[in-house]
Amino acid sequence: MRALLTLTRALVRTTVRNRQGFFWTLFFPVVIMLVFGLIGNGGGFSVNLAVAGPAGGATDQVVAAFSQVPIFKVVRMDAGAAMQAVRSGKEDALLVVPAGTRPLALTLYYNDANYVAAQQAVAAVESSVSALDLALSGHAPALTVAATPVSHSQRATFLDFLVPGIVALMIMQNALFSVGAGLTRWKEQGILRRFLATPLRPVQFLGAVILNNLVVSLASLAIVVLIAVDLLHAHVAVPVAPLLAVAVVGIAVFLAIAFLVAGLSRSQEATIPIINLITFPMMFLCGIFFPVSTLPPALATIVGYLPLTYLANAIRALMSGQAAGFTPAVTGDLLGLLAWLAAGTVISARTWRWE
Amino acid sequence: MIEGLRRPDAGSILYGDTDLIRHPETARRRFGIQLQSSSFFHLLTVTETLELFAALYPSSRDVGSLVERFGLADKKDDRVQGLSGGQRQRLAVATALIHNPEAVFLDEPTAGLDPQARRNLWDLVSAFRGEGRTVVLTTHYMDEAEYLCDLIAVIDHGRVLDVGSPQELIRRHLPGAVIELAGDVPVPDGLSLPALDRIERREDTTAIVTSSLEDTLVGLVAWARDQGLHLTGLRTRSATLEDVFLKLTGRSLRD
Repeated sequence: MRALLTLTRALVRTTVRNRQGFFWTLFFPVVIMLVFGLIGNGGGFSVNLAVAGPAGGATDQVVAAFSQVPIFKVVRMDAGAAMQAVRSGKEDALLVVPAGTRPLALTLYYNDANYVAAQQAVAAVESSVSALDLALSGHAPALTVAATPVSHSQRATFLDFLVPGIVALMIMQNALFSVGAGLTRWKEQGILRRFLATPLRPVQFLGAVILNNLVVSLASLAIVVLIAVDLLHAHVAVPVAPLLAVAVVGIAVFLAIAFLVAGLSRSQEATIPIINLITFPMMFLCGIFFPVSTLPPALATIVGYLPLTYLANAIRALMSGQAAGFTPAVTGDLLGLLAWLAAGTVISARTWRWE
Repeated sequence: MIEGLRRPDAGSILYGDTDLIRHPETARRRFGIQLQSSSFFHLLTVTETLELFAALYPSSRDVGSLVERFGLADKKDDRVQGLSGGQRQRLAVATALIHNPEAVFLDEPTAGLDPQARRNLWDLVSAFRGEGRTVVLTTHYMDEAEYLCDLIAVIDHGRVLDVGSPQELIRRHLPGAVIELAGDVPVPDGLSLPALDRIERREDTTAIVTSSLEDTLVGLVAWARDQGLHLTGLRTRSATLEDVFLKLTGRSLRD
């Protein structure tokens, strides 16, 4: 036990003293948040939505419902003028309410010249509509319930969307770059061999490596979340216990992958490209910087099974305030992560080489 | 294999009555080992490194006095990455000795060191040996082996060619002497001299290995007179371990 703790302390020291590592662990995520936080502050992530339809009941209901959702700036307009506004880019999208009774077949017009804004608008409207639909199918008063994925007291900014993604991204990067690359470096330098020649058991060494990453990752996550909330004023919830549980499982998953990579590769030169190959696509696909729903459906389905998607989804559900604890959605993501953990552990245990 | 880092295909390793293949932990606990000097965390300090290794064993020497003894006192709070080659080697040997091992394995501990640093390390190894402990040293420096070792095994391509004390090995293989000449004296390879063993070209000298110094020397002087040559740089000496090593392992370059 003393050996394990002393080694863990030594590893934490080397990790903290590594300036390059420090840059990627703390500086980089903070800079990303700063950059996007500043962009996000000018208007934030919002959708200018025009609503057109016959005067009275249904149209009023739709306008009222969407006005409840903070990210929509809803304007009621005449259909012709609204279409003109969407074409010119003044409005992001136009929702047309048909005359008649339920089921209401709403039509959404958007300007695909601005791809990103259009996709955001479509995704936001679609997710809100399905939530509203649920509410509408019940009693009429249920309309006032703003049951949407982005419901928040304040206007949701892009930073609010980004912070949980950054948290998930940091977990992946920390595990793969510091442990995956670190282990291969130690292997190359003969450090692993040197420790194997002492009474320290391999399990203790790996235990210390895992503890080190847990300590360093959780500490850097805490710092980044504090900076996001206190300095950048991100509106995120921090339910500590469930977040910690999800983070620890996430760290375990990416550590298993790190051990797999380090076990298979012989030199550090070979490891870094492999790690980049693993992390780069996930960084851009798994809902860190933009929602997975904006991807082509086929790709989105595949991406849905990636570990970083599970992790980002679970963390975002918790930090957006959408889930206060282990809701079915969060539990589902957690199960996905556990499946990756099981597979990763089994494979890396089989392929691991000390030399 | 003795250190438990690799499993032998066949055979057994006994330490006293202990089978080290079945009980590698005995070797790990009782032996010390020095591997490459790079095998330490570069961002830890000297003291931190020694304290880390001390914590891996049930009992250990005092880190402070070890640092003192290995001449690392000025550097004790410096990170390993800032140490010179000699300081790193001393640190590597110090970590091998931290738990008062019964035997210590040193793998080319003075490779790449300047003469002072080598002497300094030799003194440390001698002192350890003086405590009645065993040192197993791998080296390519024959003067080092001659100076430090009681028993030498000459190993070539994984085979033990001969075992003995330095003096024994020299007497057994090269009982005569060596006559050295400056390299620019044109001694033909096929020169026939009385009692001649071999003629070897080294960097800037020619070594004439002989079983009888007097006979060969007389022959050599007569030959030089005949040719009108000066025997520049002529020196005679008894054979060294290096001569024995070269004789046993051959002269061809190896990988």
